[in-house]
Parts: sequence; C-alpha cells; structure tokens
Amino acid sequence: MKKLMVALGALAIALASTAASAQEKLIVSVWGGNWKDGAAIIAKEFTKRTGMEVEFITGGTLDRLAKAKVAKDNPESDVVYTTSHVGYLYQSDGLFEKLDKSKLTNFANLYPAADRGDYEVGVYSYVYSPVFRTDLMPKDFRITSWNDLWSDAVAGKLSMPDFDPSHIIVASSILAGGDAATWEKGVPLLEKLKPNIKAFYQSDATSQDLLKTGETPVQIMLSINAYHLIQNGVPITIEIPKEGAVVGIGALGINKGTKKLDAAHEFINVALDPVVQQEICDFHKCSPMNKDAKVSPELAKLPGIFTTPEQWSTQAIITPDEVQAKLLPTWKAWFTENMMQ
Amino acid sequence: MSKRPFLIPFLVPAILVAVIFLAALAEILQYSFREFIPGSLDVGGFTLDNFARIYRPVYFKAVVNTFVLSLATAFFTLILSYPIAFALVRTKVEWVRTLLILLSITPLFTGEIVRTYAWMLVLGTNGFLNTMLLDIGIISEPVTFMYTRAGVVIALVQFAMPVMIIILATAISHINTDYEKAAANLGARPWTVITRVVIPLTMPGIISGFIVIFAWTMSAFATPQLIGGGKVLMISNAIYLQGFSALNFPFAATLSVIALISAFASLALMKLIANRLERQTAIH
Repeated sequence: MKKLMVALGALAIALASTAASAQEKLIVSVWGGNWKDGAAIIAKEFTKRTGMEVEFITGGTLDRLAKAKVAKDNPESDVVYTTSHVGYLYQSDGLFEKLDKSKLTNFANLYPAADRGDYEVGVYSYVYSPVFRTDLMPKDFRITSWNDLWSDAVAGKLSMPDFDPSHIIVASSILAGGDAATWEKGVPLLEKLKPNIKAFYQSDATSQDLLKTGETPVQIMLSINAYHLIQNGVPITIEIPKEGAVVGIGALGINKGTKKLDAAHEFINVALDPVVQQEICDFHKCSPMNKDAKVSPELAKLPGIFTTPEQWSTQAIITPDEVQAKLLPTWKAWFTENMMQ
Repeated sequence: MSKRPFLIPFLVPAILVAVIFLAALAEILQYSFREFIPGSLDVGGFTLDNFARIYRPVYFKAVVNTFVLSLATAFFTLILSYPIAFALVRTKVEWVRTLLILLSITPLFTGEIVRTYAWMLVLGTNGFLNTMLLDIGIISEPVTFMYTRAGVVIALVQFAMPVMIIILATAISHINTDYEKAAANLGARPWTVITRVVIPLTMPGIISGFIVIFAWTMSAFATPQLIGGGKVLMISNAIYLQGFSALNFPFAATLSVIALISAFASLALMKLIANRLERQTAIH
C-alpha cells in the first residue's frame, strides 16, 4: 500500500508539472500537415520575441469548431487559425475574444481584405479559380471569363468541390448581374452548367487526382493546389477570369476565456509582420495581407497572388464572412438538391 | 446466469457501451426535430420541417440508391465469392489453398481508402481497365466507370468479398462430403450436386453472408464518396454533406434517423425473405 501511495504521489507530481508547463505555452489550434508547418513559422518568431513556447493542437475545420463550442468557457486553445467565414461562426457563438487592435501594431499596414471585423484578422489569402490541362483541351482553349466554363469545349469535363459550392454560385451570380447576397440571380446559369460537370471532389487530394489523371481536364481549383501540380510537372494553366477569382482568407482569432490574452495578441501581431508574412506566403504560395511583405518574384508572378492594391481591386471576388457563413448552408442545400443529381 | 453471479460484472462494459450508444442515438433523435439556424452552431425550437425535406428528390434518391447499391453489392459479392470459397475449402493442393487465401483474404488488411484509391486508378478514363480494353481492341472509346453506380458497385464488391468468402468457407467446410459422394453415386452430375446438395446445405451461410454484406454496404461512405465523385450519393454521403459542409446538424440528424430506420426495415424484410428461402431449400 505504501508503494502504491508513493507511485500515486509521483504520478500526481508528474501531472501537475505537465499542467504547469502547459500554462507556460501558448496553445494554437490549427489544421494539420502543411498548415501546421506554416503556423510554425509564426510560432518560431513569436518564441524568439517573447520566450514563450507554442504548442499546436490540430484537427479539421469543423471538428475544431465543435470542440471549441463544447469547451466554451474553458477553451483548450488560446488562438484559433481557421478560414475567415468559419471564424464568423466562432464569433457568432461567442467563442472569440474581441480583438484589441491597438495591440496589433502591424494592423495598419494590411490590405482592407485582412480586416475581418472585430474578432478575427486575415493572415493570408488564396483563390479558387478555373484551371485546365493544356494537353487535354483544344489548343486555342482559354478561360478569360467564368462564362467560358459554360462553353461546349468544357462539356462533361468540369469538376468542382462538393463541400463548398460558393465559388461557382458567386461567380454565376456575378455573371447574371448579382453578387453573393443575391445569389438566386445566377440559378438559371447554374442549371445550364449541369451537363458540363463530370464530378465533384471532396478534398485537396481528390481535387489534384482529378486533374493529374486527366479525369476532369477543367476544374474550379484552389490556387495552392494548382501551383503544387505545376511544380510537379502537370501541364495545367490557372486563369484569373476578368470578373476575378473567388478569394478565401486564412484568419486568426483569440479564444474567449483565454488566460493569455496579451500573448495571443502578440502571436497575431507576429503573424502580420511583413517578414513573417513573406515567409508564410513563400511557404504556402499564398498572398500576404501586409502591404510591406516582399514575396519572391517567382511567387509574385503567379496568377492569383495579389501583391498590389490594384490586383486586389480588379482580380479578387471577396464575399463578406457574415454573408458566406449565413448563406453557405442554403447554397450547400440548393447545390446538393439541384446540381448533384 | 443466476447460477454464476460472478459473471454479472463482466456485463458492465457492455451495458456501459449500450447506454452511451443509446444516449448518442437519443441526442441524434432530438436534433432531428430541431430548427436549423444559418450562421450559428446553436439549434432552434421544435420543427417537423426536416422530415418534410426528405421527400425532395435528391434525398429520396439517396435512400433508394443506398438500398439498390447494397442489394447489388451483396448479390454480386455472393456470386463471385462462392466459387472461391468452395475452391478454398475443397482443394487438396496446399499451394492453391495458400494462393487463394492470399488473393482473397489479404485485401481485408488494407484500408478502405487505400483500396478505393487503387480502384480509382483502375477504373479511370485513362486507368488500367480502359487502357487494357482499348489495347486489346474490345472497346474503341474509354468506358465511363468512374462516377457511375457500376463503378461504385465494382469497388464495393471487391471490398466486401473477403468477408463473404470467410462466411461462405465456414459454411461449406461444415458440409459432410459424404452427402456429395452419395449424390454422385446415385448418378447426379457435378453441377446437380452443387445446386441440389451443396448450395441448399450452405443456405444459412449464404443468407448470413448476404445480410452481413447488405448491412455493411448500407453504411458505406468512402467508396461511394470517392468513386461516386458526388454523382452517386448514398445516404451516408448525404449526411456528411449536410453535417460537415453545410453545418446543418439538425437535417444531418434527420437523415441519420432515416438511414437507421431504412436499415432496420431493409434487414427485417430481408430476414423475412431469408426465412422463407431457408424453409424452401431445406433438405429434410
């Protein structure tokens, strides 16, 4: 019995020391894989500046959101890295702290697109845009407008994501003279697009497979995936239509109830630092939000990488997070019921 | 049980799991009657709208698809697995048995995703199957297997075969071979022995294999998701789309309830048919 008590005591001390060391760390919730590696760039600089270690907890977009909702007043992370419209769900459910922008000294240098309201801030952006296999499409085939996806040359060759139809819905609405909020204007066009759709993809992996194998030579694709395929020698072209490409924004917010509010603000501020922004974007091949970030010339020339205010104003289609968050379920339901059968 | 009271504590884990499972089911049930609030994770008050929405063609089709594809998968799995199971049990050549075990059972140890990806490479427009058929001149244009029900069934059948083979091999191994010899001695041809003796005697195995694969396929997710490419929706894919991309948990819960009811109803119907079949084919 005495031995048992000693062992239990040792275990309690070990657990207590683990808990104590966890208190010294800033906990950041982020996606796994490559995204965690990108966040590690911020963490490295943050630790250098503050001496505080960063620990990551990883998961998918929605399971992290669900966990945050369950944990609510006792968050398991201090900072959340997510997509900006999902960030809106965190804030609407009271899971984000209001940001004290006076602590974000880099905020003043950001493009307007980075301002995602009082509870989150954009760190980088990517686009969803039409991409095609140059070797599998006619030689003179080009996509200068979203309208080109309706052409006969694309019949039975197009793929797009099934988890988020917002890109084609917003693009169709714009073609019909509307915008995201008046998306119904694009419905007749969407219905006409059905014969051109061969498949829907569910993940980055299946998206890349569909193009790599030539199964669907035309795709509405995440720019980061398109660059990856180009880098691997797949003959594809990514086009930015004249109406613009649909922008997605990776954003940071602070968990409500965190005990490390100052450190969390500093983490976000570090993420917005021009040098860190440059490193993140060179790593992910995304657009920086800080106007002073100097990405490499090779990256800057890629379609969908925005490094000037003019590019932001002429090539980017940005949907407000609230509109996207509130309409996405309706879009999803409509898309499933009308386009996927 | 009363004579062995010491066994009662062994029931505790099972009861615990059952209670947790029932609690989860109750939660899904209550969610299915709640209103969805766009832009929020919270749910609203009581509503029957979610159930009314089931009748929209896409969801109704997903339920029908699930039933038809499960039935087709169970049927083709049975047809393809029976000869293999028979050969596995009856062969006297050790290396043939080993080879059959290797070919038929080992796929069980690779994950569903890995196998489905392999099928994507085989069934694609420029995949192995089309290339081979084109090369030998059977077809002049690639056949579309991907994103079709046929493609989904092909992959599901291969996925289900190892389990079916194990069930059938067990049933076949329990047949006393004297029955087959007696039938042959009385003049029955090999085919007659198989159809009139072996198959009726293995009917319980056939029925349980069919029901297991049918029930298993009803919850298939990754294969229809990847091979179907959103063009072939089964009920689990529809649930995923609603729950995890539209964040409409109440409607996803409603679809889950419908899936559960459909599964129980299908299995009850199948059991009824199976009992009748078993009585008809029984050898007295």
